[in-house]
Amino acid sequence: MATVTFENATRLYPGSSRPAVDSIDLTIEDGEFLVLVGPSGCGKSTTLRMLAGLEEVTSGSIHIGDRNVTDVPPKDRDIAMVFQNYALYPHMTVAENMGFALKIAGVPKEERAERVLEAAKMLDLEPYLARKPKALSGGQRQRVAMGRAIVRQPQVFLMDEPLSNLDAKLRVQTRTQIASLQRRLGITTVYVTHDQTEALTMGDRIAVLKDGVLQQVGTPRELYEAPTNVFVAGFIGSPAMNLFPADVADGGVRFGSMTVPVERASLADAGDSVTIGVRPEDVVVSRTGEGLRVDVDVVEELGADGYLYGHTEVNGNRVDIVARVDGRDHPDAGETVYITPEPHHLHVFDRESGERLVPPITD
Amino acid sequence: MTQAAVAPPEPPREQPRRDGEPRRPSSGSRWRRGLIALAFLAPALVMLGALVVYPMIYTIIRSLYDRTGDRFIGWENYVTMFTSDSTFTAIRNNIIWVLVAPIACTVLGLIFAVLLDKIRWSYAFKLIVFMPMAISMLAAGVIFRGMFQENPNLGVVNASLVAVNSVFSDDAAYPGARPREDQGIVADRGLVASEGEVATGSTQNFPLVGIRQTDLPPETGNAQEAQTPGNDEISGTVWLDVVPGGGGVDGELGDGKKGLPNIKVDAVAADGTIAASAETDADGRYTLSGLDPGSYRVALPASNFDEGYKGVSWLSASFITGVIILSYIWIWAGFAMVMISSGLSAMDRSLQEAARIDGASEWKVFTRITAPLLAPVLIVVFVTLIINVLKIFDLVYVIPPGASKPAANVIAVEMWTVSFGGGNDQGLGSALVVLLLVLVLPFMIINVRRFKQEREQ
Repeated sequence: MATVTFENATRLYPGSSRPAVDSIDLTIEDGEFLVLVGPSGCGKSTTLRMLAGLEEVTSGSIHIGDRNVTDVPPKDRDIAMVFQNYALYPHMTVAENMGFALKIAGVPKEERAERVLEAAKMLDLEPYLARKPKALSGGQRQRVAMGRAIVRQPQVFLMDEPLSNLDAKLRVQTRTQIASLQRRLGITTVYVTHDQTEALTMGDRIAVLKDGVLQQVGTPRELYEAPTNVFVAGFIGSPAMNLFPADVADGGVRFGSMTVPVERASLADAGDSVTIGVRPEDVVVSRTGEGLRVDVDVVEELGADGYLYGHTEVNGNRVDIVARVDGRDHPDAGETVYITPEPHHLHVFDRESGERLVPPITD
Repeated sequence: MTQAAVAPPEPPREQPRRDGEPRRPSSGSRWRRGLIALAFLAPALVMLGALVVYPMIYTIIRSLYDRTGDRFIGWENYVTMFTSDSTFTAIRNNIIWVLVAPIACTVLGLIFAVLLDKIRWSYAFKLIVFMPMAISMLAAGVIFRGMFQENPNLGVVNASLVAVNSVFSDDAAYPGARPREDQGIVADRGLVASEGEVATGSTQNFPLVGIRQTDLPPETGNAQEAQTPGNDEISGTVWLDVVPGGGGVDGELGDGKKGLPNIKVDAVAADGTIAASAETDADGRYTLSGLDPGSYRVALPASNFDEGYKGVSWLSASFITGVIILSYIWIWAGFAMVMISSGLSAMDRSLQEAARIDGASEWKVFTRITAPLLAPVLIVVFVTLIINVLKIFDLVYVIPPGASKPAANVIAVEMWTVSFGGGNDQGLGSALVVLLLVLVLPFMIINVRRFKQEREQ
């Protein structure tokens, strides 16, 4: 068990001018489940592979516990990794796959068999121990890959999109299994995914990456309630937050026909115009009255809830708007509605830099 | 031909289902289908039959007839074959070939493939290793024959051996030197020695001839009279007993006679042990000191005069098969490398990464993961090479010079020699080919099976 620390860790691929991972500073607590999330090509897998020792660290350092592992080869880092394609050794049985690391470490045969069996029980793999990976289903292979990591009892688990090859239903099931297993074992875990739902449901904390730069680290709640910039705001949450430009007015920002109050201090450096963000569930829809005029294009019914998709014009530009509405009573396509935000849940960002302007809401 | 004849109209799909039983083709249409199939197969069958099956059967029949081809002699050719010495050498050499060449090629190919897998410019290196494949076997044979010529002035291998050797060992300075006759010294199995024993306190001179003035080392001075020896010493001078341009008295020091420096001189006791040794100085003088009083034979050991290291006779009977196998490896290691490389590039690299994270060293990753996963490719390469090696001909035909040809013999060359290259006995030749066929067949079957299995997967 150990903490993991990245200090200014950078990875620059030879022949490329922009680093794939740009001086990341990150501390992962002992026993914590940290999810690295971001769109594809954001450097999250590279970060994980740097921690695994599969990618060189161009500058900066990585520590596991008190040990500087920056230049330690992967075999000596005492970590276990679950790969996206599972990377099961095709010429070995499930038991041999799971016991491979122990065999390399010179663990006696009986102890090895015992530990493999123990892990197999945990993952319901007992009946398959003598099979080759080829004869297993996708979900079973995924569990073998997990088992291979568990048997090691390593200091850190690394998981590189381990659920992306499973079908949707199995993914949701396995998601909870992995999270609860991690909590039971209490092993520090770094988990990479591009799926923000996975990140929100599994992680103790989430680190959002974009273009190799760490955007924000925090609990799922923090990321959802107080994204530090436009990117995190748009990335976390589904359907995504509505983001559009708005003019600054006296005492707040213009929102169609009304002014939503925003603390004056926050808008001091903002200039004439800001980007505002409202999550779909924080949009109040009314058929009459004040607010931003929205033409309804389509309404998605999800039973209890519905999502209203519409568009409006802000400063002559078309802006798409999503709002959560009641499943039983909602406007229909073609109607015109007026929307206003929940004032406590309005996110205001700088127009140029995209940085958050209002302080986080604390209720 | 009408369209119907080429492709009989597909029976309507619904019909068999409506009847509840599958429609059987009528005997007439089955006939026609067979004919059409045969028509399509015919060109290939005719070619195969004319070019493969007929020659094969004819060869087997021919092996049962004598050299004229008229008289049936049953197994006699086979008996002759297995009792002849040259066939025996051929079979023995073929066994050596099969044991050495495929393994060496596969292992080398594997090493190249794995090492080149990780570096930049790997394509350039692979191209170089693969290049010999583009050379005809005949040309390769000529190249290797040239490289392994015995004369260091012709063969690059011996030239480099001699060059390396001369760095590490002192060259004998005076090859070919011999004693001036009737001066009390004799040549004896390479060395030069005093005729009789020499008492301590006296002098023994060595006037030598047979050395060119131009071969003398530059520091050589005029030969000088040796110092008078002490009671426990023997002294003397070793010189070239020739005055350039003529003159002087044989066996006596004089103007223009050069001393021979750096010649080793031994005092040999009566029991054959060396009691003392010395080396001549720039003027050719030596002093053997510290001797017990008595008489000794003074000798200039053979190392002063021998020809020096001349390399190895690669193309002689003892090395020839090794040299030919080497040339084969030079050509075919590239083939093995390319095959194995393609196997490597098809491999999922995360397996190696997983093994590294599992704590395996690079060597363990190779032996436990990479090599087992490459096994199918390795077997195909290995078996292909075995087949190839069994019927090796060109290299063995080209490389050995006449004298070592019998020692390098292999079955295919023996077959050629017996049937066309002088033997003129195509009956015996056919028997040899049948033997070759029998040897190759099992490996062919293995390979065909493997290909089949792969296709099924």
